[in-house]
Amino acid sequence: MLNELDKIKEDIQKDITSLSILQIKGKYLSKNGVLAVMFKNIKNIKADQKSEYGKTLNELKTYLEDRIDEEQGKIKIENSNRKIDPTAPFDVNTSKDKRPHILDLKGSSHPLMQELEKMLDIFQRMGFDILESRQIDDDFHMFESLNFPKGHPARDMYDTFWTDDGFVLPAHTSTMQNRALRRLGPPPIRVVLPGRCFRNEATDASHEHTFYQIEGIYVDEGISMGHMQATIKEYLEQYLEKDLEIKMQPAYFPFTEPDVEFVISCPFCNKVGCTTCGNSGWIELMGCGMIHPNVLTAGGIDPQKYTGFAWGVGLDRLTAIKRGISDIRKLRDGDINFLRQL
Amino acid sequence: MKLPLKSITQFAECNLNLEKILTTLSSKIGEVEGYSELSKIYEGIYIGEILSKEQHPNADKLGVYKINIGEDDEIQVVAGDKSLEVGNKVAYIKPGYTVPYTYGTAEPFKIKAVNMRGITSNGMLCSEKELNIGNNHTKVLVLEQEAQVGTLFAEYFELNDTVVDIENKALTNRGDLFGILGLSREISAAQGIPFKSPDWYMKDSVDIDIINPNSPITVENQAQNLCPRYTCISMDNIAIKDSPVWLKSILIKSGIKPINNVVDITNYLSILTGQPLHAFDYEKLLTNDPIKKDSAHITVRVAKDGEKIHTLDGNIVELSNNNLVIADSTNPIAIAGVIGGIDTEIDENTKRVIIESANFNKFSIRKTSMELGIFTDAVTRYTKGQHPHLCLPILLKAVELIKELAEGECASNIVDIYNEPQSQKGITLSINRINTHLGTNLGKEEILKILTDIEYQISSQDSEYITVVPPIFRTDIFIPEDIFEDIGRIFGYDNIAPKLPTRDIRPTRVNTNIQLKNRIRQILSNSGCNELDTYSFTSRENIENAKQDPNLAYHIKNSLSPDLEFMRTSLLSSALEKGKLNIQKNISPFCIYEFNIPHQIGYVDNFQLPKEDWHLSLLFSSKDTLIEGSPYFQVKRYLEKVLNSLGIESLTYDLISDSSELDLPIWITNIIPSFNKNEAALIKHIKEGKLTIVGVIGDLDIDVKNRFKLPSLSGAFEINLEEIGKLVSLNNGNTHESRYPSITQDLCLTVLDSMKYFELENIIQKEINTKDRVGCIECIDIYKKDGDTKNITLRITIEHREKTLTDKDFEKIRERIEKKVKQLSK
Repeated sequence: MLNELDKIKEDIQKDITSLSILQIKGKYLSKNGVLAVMFKNIKNIKADQKSEYGKTLNELKTYLEDRIDEEQGKIKIENSNRKIDPTAPFDVNTSKDKRPHILDLKGSSHPLMQELEKMLDIFQRMGFDILESRQIDDDFHMFESLNFPKGHPARDMYDTFWTDDGFVLPAHTSTMQNRALRRLGPPPIRVVLPGRCFRNEATDASHEHTFYQIEGIYVDEGISMGHMQATIKEYLEQYLEKDLEIKMQPAYFPFTEPDVEFVISCPFCNKVGCTTCGNSGWIELMGCGMIHPNVLTAGGIDPQKYTGFAWGVGLDRLTAIKRGISDIRKLRDGDINFLRQL
Repeated sequence: MKLPLKSITQFAECNLNLEKILTTLSSKIGEVEGYSELSKIYEGIYIGEILSKEQHPNADKLGVYKINIGEDDEIQVVAGDKSLEVGNKVAYIKPGYTVPYTYGTAEPFKIKAVNMRGITSNGMLCSEKELNIGNNHTKVLVLEQEAQVGTLFAEYFELNDTVVDIENKALTNRGDLFGILGLSREISAAQGIPFKSPDWYMKDSVDIDIINPNSPITVENQAQNLCPRYTCISMDNIAIKDSPVWLKSILIKSGIKPINNVVDITNYLSILTGQPLHAFDYEKLLTNDPIKKDSAHITVRVAKDGEKIHTLDGNIVELSNNNLVIADSTNPIAIAGVIGGIDTEIDENTKRVIIESANFNKFSIRKTSMELGIFTDAVTRYTKGQHPHLCLPILLKAVELIKELAEGECASNIVDIYNEPQSQKGITLSINRINTHLGTNLGKEEILKILTDIEYQISSQDSEYITVVPPIFRTDIFIPEDIFEDIGRIFGYDNIAPKLPTRDIRPTRVNTNIQLKNRIRQILSNSGCNELDTYSFTSRENIENAKQDPNLAYHIKNSLSPDLEFMRTSLLSSALEKGKLNIQKNISPFCIYEFNIPHQIGYVDNFQLPKEDWHLSLLFSSKDTLIEGSPYFQVKRYLEKVLNSLGIESLTYDLISDSSELDLPIWITNIIPSFNKNEAALIKHIKEGKLTIVGVIGDLDIDVKNRFKLPSLSGAFEINLEEIGKLVSLNNGNTHESRYPSITQDLCLTVLDSMKYFELENIIQKEINTKDRVGCIECIDIYKKDGDTKNITLRITIEHREKTLTDKDFEKIRERIEKKVKQLSK
């Protein structure tokens, strides 16, 4: 069988110079073309030769496709140097049915944006303003203003990317806290800050180096952890359209005190245990806490008079869970067939 | 942080079952990552005694042993270690059970009865490594003679325990919880049981007084800011040997391999209390010191640039003046708080040791650890914060244990350099504020109980305020809120009643950028376009393939891979890459778009931060010639669909090759080369003489198409939404109504090639729109044969407010138009 492949290789070499692109496509790459037949044959190949056979076939296919691309490229280069009239509605000498028009295709907005819109809508109804977060920031906003002094070991909790110029790619939307407090103060301040964040960590089906987070801040007189608990719970119940049980577990973030991890009963199995919650019945959803007095002070707010809480919830995992997307990387690989299903 | 549950009871009362302990830990102390029940890992492993030993008849390297594990029958086992003697006690795995070293891994190794060159081996005799308690894998581990034949190995080795793993991140500021003692304290308080630290842990006086020290030490601390306290002592007559089983056992449960009694004791105290200790060989320290003296001399100092040290893990590390070292008179002997040096390592011949118990600045330790890439247990514990108070009591405890387990005797007095003792200050708490902060309704007595249970001291109190002093080992308590957390945790966050805050009825502020994106998203998605969300990261290759400038791209210092080492300079480069991917999957036609923020070096805001404008980029591609003419017109169709829906009219398009604009923004000049300059345009807006460039649109450059394997019918645009946002008008223009029918006629005009369509349109608009009439123009055809003219056919519809227009009326208008066009076409 492998001999047969050698023969095909020779044929291709001959045909590539003598046949047209269309003919080559027809002969080798069409539905019943030579390569398709050979691919079907793979089941008759001896097990130990299968992988080599498959590999050779794929190489031939790529070779042909590349040659065809090259050929097509050559045709393009011959394009004339004419200038178009950019103010016209269409080009000269075009037939009526081939003029620019909006094609009848299946369009879609991105699932992350759909979910983000839903979340922002809930927050707006609850009385929160929206400010968008930055994608490149400085050390002051990402760390110092959040009570991480320079060189503080807690900085290592955030696997942060840095640019050669000393800028930082925000590892959390908390990078906007100081700006939000300064811009929207004096309290009451109610704001959510959606934005793209980056973490220097290996990617897999449930982790990405790039993700969206929504930061929330509520500052006013007499704000308590009880308020925090109720506000986050209310939002999640609205979003997940389910009554939830919640737990708060101690955690550590330098910019909140006390700080907790917000845990909800799994909305997909009602605490019975499923793959989404790792059979625990509970899902850890976000970090939150009472804003540290140093952070309020850095934001120009008197911590003696006001208290507040803040949280940061990730969007990607929630979207993947809610939409039944098993591999989170699918969200950003740009596969139109996938996007058109949404 | 690993917590072997049985060790809690060494310090505290704990009557909770496993499930209760797990919930207590996770709800009041820190997130539980998992737990392992060691008895399962060591299932099927028994203590056996060698009854007989023979050479394997068919294999030189194998021995055949008969062993007794307390069952009626002898068991025959083949082993690669021929050095075992009759009477040795060994750990034996029965067929059907798993080798502990491989337990829980991807490929657990299950023992089977196998035929080894003609002899059946019914199970396996284990090495240290196979038992996961040491590194030796060549020799079968020979156990102490007192090991009872037939008992489970886990029982003999005190491994019948459950080890809970607590997420380190949750304890980042709690150095005290990196010790079993600290965790026991909290578990006790969480059950409402007061905790009292053992006396040795709180001790701060010394009762060692040696008049003629045998092995004196002098210490010079040249870096007191980085080493607030340094204590040490020397001990002689050390008998280095294996640690007793209980000590090995607790180390193994904590994930640390036993080495020898002295090293094990230092590690043991560190897992117990969080305070790392280090042991040096006194003799080696003396002989290695280039300046010979009778006593050991230790200097704590900053390393010299380029100075080297051979560390315990076998590496030679080059140091800088960012690193703190422990040195003899001349050379470093340890990287302070990070790792020891091999030249002063304790080995089986060590007779005299120096035990060090010091406190180092956590920032400095972190910096050194990151810079040198050395991450040890000591680094973990130091960087969480240890109190200098602990140095002395823990050193004294080490002395006690070394006396007991290594027969050592104190050979010097305690050296203690602690010039600025740190104590805890009282913090005053308002009971009312505690409750408003937490959302609780706690009484004073409840609060006091919680705090005293975890060893706070009450220094004063009245009905509204209490003043407390945090226990000495806490390094995380500075302000009242830090104590609120302790109260909230131990009380139980789950006991706080949720309550929604009340607010005024001020409407929320409108975010126009989000509104704009939502509107455009809706328009494009309803027009068959698919929205992408792609990485901000890209490669040099991608930027270059798009003919954009990699020098404008921010470079990531610590990128994940070369594919992700730059921040993209445009959204277009990502769209091209995704376009290629989809074309290769044979998806055609398609139209993809994305909203995001690209970055260009040099494009900065008032704070000198990268200016972050939101962009919209769209790419259209089709393998089939669905559209004739330049792809420019097809993408323009999409753009105009958006602009029309937003009510933006006044944009003009300037062919790039004809454009003479200077001072274009960086983000525009950067993307221009991605386009075919003869079939692409700058999108401009001119208002009151002020020009703004909104974006670039058109056919893609031929090389770009080739590199991204895109078909010739591929066009794109990228626009700046900040600019678009300024143009969105809220009213949708004037409307007019007429009771009279309109008149429609076609008009065919021959004009010079050089005449732009919009110029013609302007002339006609002026003629057909007056104060009495409104008209509109539709282009029917643009035809060009040869020569320097083209024919443009327009369909014109006019409507009069007060009368029905006749053909004659139209004729007049037509004549005026033709006259004007003729003048311009000369």
